[in-house]
Amino acid sequence: MLEVRSWSLVSILTIAALGCGGAPKPEARIASSEGAIRGAEEGGANAVPEATLHVKLAQEERQKALAIIKDGGDNHRAEMILARSEADADLALALARAAAAKSEAAKAQEAVDALKHKEAP
Amino acid sequence: MMLRHFFIIALPCAALVACATASPPRELVDARTAYQQAEAGAAAKYVPADLHVARESLDTAEKSFHDDATSQDTIDNAYIAQLKAQRAEALGEAAKATEDKERADRELGKTQERMLSRDEARLRDTQSQLAKERDSVAKAQAETAAEHAARMAAEKKAQDAMDALAKSLAMKKDERGTVITLSGGVLFATGQSTLLAGAQTQLNQVADALKTQAEHHFLVGGHTDNQGNDRINDELSTQRANAVRDYLIVRGVSADAITAQGFGSHQPIADNHTTEGRAMNRRVEIIVDKAQ
Repeated sequence: MLEVRSWSLVSILTIAALGCGGAPKPEARIASSEGAIRGAEEGGANAVPEATLHVKLAQEERQKALAIIKDGGDNHRAEMILARSEADADLALALARAAAAKSEAAKAQEAVDALKHKEAP
Repeated sequence: MMLRHFFIIALPCAALVACATASPPRELVDARTAYQQAEAGAAAKYVPADLHVARESLDTAEKSFHDDATSQDTIDNAYIAQLKAQRAEALGEAAKATEDKERADRELGKTQERMLSRDEARLRDTQSQLAKERDSVAKAQAETAAEHAARMAAEKKAQDAMDALAKSLAMKKDERGTVITLSGGVLFATGQSTLLAGAQTQLNQVADALKTQAEHHFLVGGHTDNQGNDRINDELSTQRANAVRDYLIVRGVSADAITAQGFGSHQPIADNHTTEGRAMNRRVEIIVDKAQ
């Protein structure tokens, strides 16, 4: 009878522990989303309007996820929001790179056109 | 019993139908569209690895939708898939733009080289033309210098000839030019217009001097004293002037540069009342005009 009680107690405590903590704290995602946002900012995203929007979204999502974690909320939900944040930051960096590359290409083409105009007799 | 069997079969079927017919969330529709757009754009060519990542993300979203069509995870995964597809598209465009820039830079370099070659060719042509013009100018200067030297030499020779003539003949300069006076008595016998043999020495000297006087005109003027009538004197003076002119031409003086005229006794230079005066008036004057 005592064994049955002990087993029940262990089971109840285990279920309670799982129910309380749920998914572990998404430490890796917290770090990677922060790195992605910093990378986007350093990559010139704030100079490109469309990229700036995604940087802001990434920052807001990250704050929202951190608040959930701080309040002891759903870690899985927090991780998904952090994944969204990271994706927004990555997109912001890609948009910034594309804008810069297009600008450089346009300048190079303008230089060619100007020189060819000058070359024409 | 029948009712129990119905529920056993019908409930899973209903669940399957519900899943299969559930409308995908807007995020998933957007993700599919974004991926198709990325795949059709530059991403497939320039950033296939990133496009593959987007594909995997979309697959995750599709699986999530299949597992639980209305869950928040499905929406989040679809949103992330859309962003990854857009990222792949942006990176593809960046890579393409970089390639375009490199192509433009190469074209710029080739154009610059072409223009440089053209400019160098033009410079060479200009230098060549300049060198030719320099040669031409130098040649012209040399010719001018040679002409000047020749002229100076000719002028000196002419002056020397006239100076030499002045030592043996009467010469003076007046408003008409240089006047060489030959005594009529030395050139002709009285009343004759045929040159004496002894006249040739003086006339040869005169001819040699006149030949050096380029660009001058010579007037041979015959003069007599006032003895006899004017008609005879005029005719005789003309004949004597012509005789002297003809001789000078024979000696090499240009016929185009020399003319003859008889003045009779109308231009005496001395008193006709004396023997010496009349002797002086019987003369032939050769007038070398002033330089043009």
